[in-house]
Amino acid sequence: MAIAEVRSHETTLKPRNIRVNLRRPGPLVLLVPALASIGAVSIYPVLLGLWLSFRDTTLASPTDTFIGLDNYFQLFSDSQFWNAWTHTIQFTAASTLVETLLGLMIALILSERFRGRGIVRAAMLVPWAIPTVVTSKMFGWLFDGQNGIVNYLLRSVGLIQHNVDWYGSPDFALVTIVIADVWKTTPFMALLLLAGLQTIPDSLAEASVIDGANAWQHFWHIRLPLLTPSLLIASMFRALDAFRIFDLVYVLTGGGPADSTEVLSTLTYKHLFSALQFGYGSALATIMFITEIVIAVVFGVFLLRKMREVGQ
Amino acid sequence: MHKTAPHSKAQQSSTRQRALDQDLGSDKHQISPNQKPEDGIHRRDFIKRTGLALAGVTAASTFLPSVRRGMAAGTNPTEITFSSAKFYGKETIAEVVDAYNSSQNKIHVTYKELPPPSSSTEVHQGLVQQLARRNGDPDVFTQDIIWIAEFAAAKWALPLDDHFNAEVMKEYFPGVVQACTWQGKLTALPWFIDSGMLYYRKDLLDELGAKAPETWGELIDSAKKLTSSGKAKFGFLWQAKQAEVLVCDLVSFVGSNGGSILGPDGKTVSIADDAAIEAVQLMHDLIKKDQITPEDVLSWDEEPSRGPFTGGEAAFLRNWSYVWKISQDKANSSVVDKVGVVPLPHFPNKKSAACLGGYQYGVNASSKNKEAAIEFVRWMSSPETQLRFATQIGLCPTRSAVLDDPKIAQEQPFMQQLKSVFIGAIGRPVTPKYPQVALVLQSEVSRALTSGNVKAALQTAKDKIQAIVKT
Repeated sequence: MAIAEVRSHETTLKPRNIRVNLRRPGPLVLLVPALASIGAVSIYPVLLGLWLSFRDTTLASPTDTFIGLDNYFQLFSDSQFWNAWTHTIQFTAASTLVETLLGLMIALILSERFRGRGIVRAAMLVPWAIPTVVTSKMFGWLFDGQNGIVNYLLRSVGLIQHNVDWYGSPDFALVTIVIADVWKTTPFMALLLLAGLQTIPDSLAEASVIDGANAWQHFWHIRLPLLTPSLLIASMFRALDAFRIFDLVYVLTGGGPADSTEVLSTLTYKHLFSALQFGYGSALATIMFITEIVIAVVFGVFLLRKMREVGQ
Repeated sequence: MHKTAPHSKAQQSSTRQRALDQDLGSDKHQISPNQKPEDGIHRRDFIKRTGLALAGVTAASTFLPSVRRGMAAGTNPTEITFSSAKFYGKETIAEVVDAYNSSQNKIHVTYKELPPPSSSTEVHQGLVQQLARRNGDPDVFTQDIIWIAEFAAAKWALPLDDHFNAEVMKEYFPGVVQACTWQGKLTALPWFIDSGMLYYRKDLLDELGAKAPETWGELIDSAKKLTSSGKAKFGFLWQAKQAEVLVCDLVSFVGSNGGSILGPDGKTVSIADDAAIEAVQLMHDLIKKDQITPEDVLSWDEEPSRGPFTGGEAAFLRNWSYVWKISQDKANSSVVDKVGVVPLPHFPNKKSAACLGGYQYGVNASSKNKEAAIEFVRWMSSPETQLRFATQIGLCPTRSAVLDDPKIAQEQPFMQQLKSVFIGAIGRPVTPKYPQVALVLQSEVSRALTSGNVKAALQTAKDKIQAIVKT
């Protein structure tokens, strides 16, 4: 404090000196708050997680030593980890694919001009705006094995003879969760793709009409190629997000039955916060982090290539 | 002065005196073991307090101004903190703590509320994060019965044997005291008890001319008759969601065949023994073979299974004591006055086993005000306070004598019916690694129930649990 006071005295007395002193570190000083907060909330936790993943820290026991890669060796021989890993990849692939296709269809419809388009566009976003826990509870009731409306409808049209136990059966539970996720997140995809469609100049559409292209040719040869970067960005966002799937599983099945809906996030949560195995849980989290980077890089490479093509 | 203490208390008091002298160093003082709540306070506090005590606890609130003045004069009460999961009924825990604060002026308790017990993982997490800091905050906490071993092994919970001797502990149900003991040391003080039990439809069984089942065979028999005649949609509802509740159900099934999950040493794994395999096979058969339990239980925890029962669709239900209140509430139940409660059935020639639940008190081993903390838990676990929790919040007392109190017969008649259930309740596996063991059990038993490959799943569970508990 004393120094600050002295300095403030100097500033008032010799303004010219100050300007000279600040000039050199100036821009850097201004960046410090931003860098510090990114470091504190983003870089530090990642590094801390990495550091923990090399230790056998368990909060409720006195053990806390450096064990090198032991956690990772244990992880790779852990059938539950691979089980969860497989489910996560399945979920990510299925939900991203279905949501991209449905989202594209919705975006194409919403980019057309029709009466009440504004209302439809707004209404479309409703599922996405609902908190996921509420969505989960809602789908819990829709697919309820005894009183669910899905069973009732399927029985009414004769598709099934007996009620299907959607969440209690290892064969259906994950599929049901994918359906819930598709309902919830397709609007998000549609929104991103709609924005992408709107960047395509109308003049191209007019030109193709003059050249006698039909609707399909117009879509396939003009809109789709120009939309590819948006498609890739949107599916990358979606894939990275779907990979972290947690709330639907946590609320609907807790990972069961028989681990059939266990995904990496729920498994990590169980190890970190139920069993308080900070070391092992951090190793799991680190593997998730690495897989996410791989996904991002793969999409990124495709994206760059596409953008270069489009650019040419 | 403590030499004049009456009979059995003398031993305890002298121990307490020693502990006190250690705690307070050379600061010599008098205590009065005859006036229980005043044990272990400074003389000037004591003198002040006696004046107050004359007026009696109920009138204490009128003395509050004088207490405040006393505080202003420099005799501040000892500040301690108390952390508990949230329970409420006609009263909240905060109100009970306030009652303690205004009943005396030497200790002031600040209550910190944690989430309700339904968010058990979050409560556990919150407590562990605080206790692991070892900074003495909170001084007193409440813990789910399954965490006692974990907290004791981590040396977070203060052993209480010096303050509550075996004689005193005889006033509590033995099963609870056992659950509060880790490696021969009492590390928790009983608060309230809950356990799994069998709810049944009296009216339906009367129509059949059957009595409440004592064995699984009898239950299956009655349930089959009731479902095949269409009198009940479901025979027997329980919970098999891959979650903690599955472990609770597992313990009752396995225990009812004389089996266990872990041996008393906490190291021997007995989940793949014949008794356990037979019991899990029964759980599987109830769904797939006898078909008195719908497959839906595989994704049900407590509430989804409670709904159909209080809605009048099921003949039998395994659940905790909270269901009773709902089942007798006309607004939420179509089976008012038609429900009976008995201990869960057992295998032939074996004993019924209910899964023991409930929260118990613990004192933080790092507490800076241990004496005050112990005084506070002593009050919280006293017969009067237990009675208050029973009548006001509906938490079943762990003191045998309190459960027999006529006031409970009046306010919570069902608790007394359950005495035999509570006495027979058995704990879940006792090990400081319980959370990890529970995760394995949840996943493998769920696998056994869905795949039907009971033996293989339990063998896998055994291998995994052995690897966890051996370290």
